[in-house]
Amino acid sequence: MTVNTDTLLGRLQRSSIAVLVLVAFPGALLAAEEIRVLNWQGYGTDEAWALEAFEAQTDISVVHDYFNSEQEMLTKLRTNPGTYDVVLINSAFTSVAAREGLIQALDLSRLNNAADLSPEMRDNAGLSHDGKTFGAAWVWGLTSFAVDTTDIDPVPDSIDALWDEAYAGRVGWRDDAVESVMLAAIATGQDINEPTDLDAIRDKLRALKPQIRTFWSSENEWNQFMSSNEFDIATYWSGSASRSKSQFKLPVEFVIPTEGAIGWLDGLSIATDAPHESAAYQFIDWMIDPAFYVQWDTDVGAPASANAKALEQLDETAFNRQILGDAEKLANVQFMGAMEDSQREAFLALWQGTKTYLQE
Amino acid sequence: MSDKADIQRRPVNRALPVLLGPAYLWLAVTVFLPLSAMVYFSFLSETPIGGREAVWTLSNYGEFFDKAFYRTLMWRSFRLGAEVTLLCFLFGFPCAYVLAKMVKGRWREALFLLVILPFWSNALVRIFSWTMVLRGNGVLERLVNVFLPDVGSLNLMFTYPAILIGLVHSYLPYMILTCYISIQAIDDDLIEAARSMGAGRFTVFRRILLPLALPGIMAGSILTFVPVIGSFMEPRLLGGRNGTFIGTVIEDQFTAVFNWPLGAALSFIMLGFVLIVLLLAAPMIRRAST
Amino acid sequence: MKRPTRYLTTLSKVYLGVILLFLYVPIVVMAVMSFNASPLYALPLELTLDWYRALASNHKLIDAGINSLKLAVMTTVIASLLGTAAALAFFRYEFPGKRLLQILLYPPIAIPWLIIGTSMLIFFFWIGIGRGLHAMLLGHVALALPYVVIVVSARLAGFDRTLEEAARSLGASPLQVLRYVTLPYLLPGVVAAGLFAFAVSFDQFVVSYFLAVPGVSTLPVEIYTAIRKGFTPEVNAIATLVISVSMVLLLAVARLYKFGGTR
Repeated sequence: MTVNTDTLLGRLQRSSIAVLVLVAFPGALLAAEEIRVLNWQGYGTDEAWALEAFEAQTDISVVHDYFNSEQEMLTKLRTNPGTYDVVLINSAFTSVAAREGLIQALDLSRLNNAADLSPEMRDNAGLSHDGKTFGAAWVWGLTSFAVDTTDIDPVPDSIDALWDEAYAGRVGWRDDAVESVMLAAIATGQDINEPTDLDAIRDKLRALKPQIRTFWSSENEWNQFMSSNEFDIATYWSGSASRSKSQFKLPVEFVIPTEGAIGWLDGLSIATDAPHESAAYQFIDWMIDPAFYVQWDTDVGAPASANAKALEQLDETAFNRQILGDAEKLANVQFMGAMEDSQREAFLALWQGTKTYLQE
Repeated sequence: MSDKADIQRRPVNRALPVLLGPAYLWLAVTVFLPLSAMVYFSFLSETPIGGREAVWTLSNYGEFFDKAFYRTLMWRSFRLGAEVTLLCFLFGFPCAYVLAKMVKGRWREALFLLVILPFWSNALVRIFSWTMVLRGNGVLERLVNVFLPDVGSLNLMFTYPAILIGLVHSYLPYMILTCYISIQAIDDDLIEAARSMGAGRFTVFRRILLPLALPGIMAGSILTFVPVIGSFMEPRLLGGRNGTFIGTVIEDQFTAVFNWPLGAALSFIMLGFVLIVLLLAAPMIRRAST
Repeated sequence: MKRPTRYLTTLSKVYLGVILLFLYVPIVVMAVMSFNASPLYALPLELTLDWYRALASNHKLIDAGINSLKLAVMTTVIASLLGTAAALAFFRYEFPGKRLLQILLYPPIAIPWLIIGTSMLIFFFWIGIGRGLHAMLLGHVALALPYVVIVVSARLAGFDRTLEEAARSLGASPLQVLRYVTLPYLLPGVVAAGLFAFAVSFDQFVVSYFLAVPGVSTLPVEIYTAIRKGFTPEVNAIATLVISVSMVLLLAVARLYKFGGTR
């Protein structure tokens, strides 16, 4: 019980100090602006040290709201117009959001760091709609899988490891229609954006039935499952894998399978009715700045930056420079393209049916 | 108590709308109108928000009959509801009996409070606490391994039984509470009399205890069955890949897929089945309330 | 065979113990984990107060907690007032449609919260009430109202109407009768109903979940979001505090009103 009163008293003291400060310097309240960012949890934009530095320099404070899937992100934008300022969108969904009028066209000249973005990232077709840019290229990475090196040695190099009987009941899988179908497309040797043989994909996914331990839905959940030894091998994202290693000290290794991996590019966009438009531009500029990126990747772990200057400043041995800079390793990587609604619905129906099968 | 004639002689006066108006106005705005709006939505082709054009259609209901997995999920949800209710009864009824008839005085009061205390804590937090108990290398597994080192991993987390455990834990206090109230009202002498005339324990249970406690059992069953059918948070947290039910699919339509009409249609189909079950149970409920 | 044998009494005590163990183990585990150093809930235990310290500066959780309290208090007041008024009307008057109105109280109990919550989302969004604390208050009162009417009606059923008649014949006005005779008798029932309303609101997750807007949520909604999107033991810390406080509260109330005890 002492804990209880201690924290309460501490809070009271602190808040009364805050009140005093506000009474003494009313200007502090007027200058402060608050922007709302929509992103995955623990994905760069909510690093406390970065937000403190940003606020110290610009007087703009940042609050977050999180999503667990692109679908949820889109629905949050649809049902909360005029609420969000900055939103992180996977380039496969940028044009969907743009077409629905959820995000606004960007004026890249308002971003000081835009000039340093790699041209192939900055001008990526996925980030534009109707000839206008709707997303500022931020980071990119791969989706395949990671293994617990204490349980699996040597580290496999084929995507078939996920279907290996040796790991029956030890596989973690993200409950996401698009990602599931695309991984199965790679495993069946198909184009991830235009798979022709959906039956083969369905069969491949159904074959996961004896394999899957459980679904995961967030990075934090992934870490908890790995740490409690629920998984030996699980689908994962390259940037998150480096965070799991450096921040949570988990013995995991990210694998780029010989068959290929899913490549993705995440951009930062501004919501259509963003209440703080210019602050949103400032924040995006801060996020694509090499200074932020280098510290993020070094101290926390991050995917590869779309900013060429930022990548140059990384340590030579960094995964994002060494591996993702290696054209040979990336030869089979397939990048996600913009998705049509009809295709997304087909993927969703396929995955929902498969999920029901998986639990029978 | 005054007699009926006296009550009826009072004119229906101005007080009535003042007393009833606010409550029913409130219910109209928050329950009846929303349900009507939901009926309307369930016949639309799209969520008519943000300038989307919607037309009338029956396809949302058709979807349910077209796709086998919706039926599978509906069936799974009802099975879950039935099993949780049955388990709550099997564990809760004896507990209520012991509390009402075999524990006396201050002890009874204290134990009774202990049983309903968890009901006062947050349902969500209790479900989450089970994830810590059941998970691999978690509390339960470690405990079992202390006594039975050979068992190894229990693999309980993310299974159907894990969902059952969590839900029974959530709703058991309701069942104990409602059964306790009706068992307590049964006269001890009645049981004594039956026993002295030679009735066995089972006969007493079947012929006296069960019929007289029926109101409590039915109330507890409804309070358990109805919410379990629509549960989505518990299966998500405890069920993992086995956690897809009709409730989770409906939630998805609202929070992720943005297909509110389909979500509305699935909700009404579920509601229809709930009503059918309640109607089937109606004879028992009627018997219980007389 | 006519009295419970010793063996049976012991068995029943053991059984009660097992049930209590089942009910309390997870709660205790959660409380213990709030003192565990590992953010991933790894065992063995390393004691720390860090999560309570972190909680003190977690504005999201604290604000959500304050919202929950505000909502629960307002729900208690409004639902008790409206529900008691309705119960009095049902007790005092016979009128056409009375039975129907009584039946209409049950939908909030007999329809899964999932459906109630999503239909409110649709309707409030559609006609422009929107979501947020005001919408949640609308929803919470609706859920609590039927319980209040039922509990207060149960108390009224034992009311001796001749008391009112006596007061009236001694010259008391209808309002005075209400103030000095009816309400004092009703008070324990209203308090119990109010507690019920408080619990329904404070614990409510489903309806709040669908009516929350970014930045405005309640404790259960915030906890759910935290569990699904990145969880820290701070949530265990606040949950432990909430459970301790509500249990102490209930114990205090139980001492005052002795409900559940001897009749």
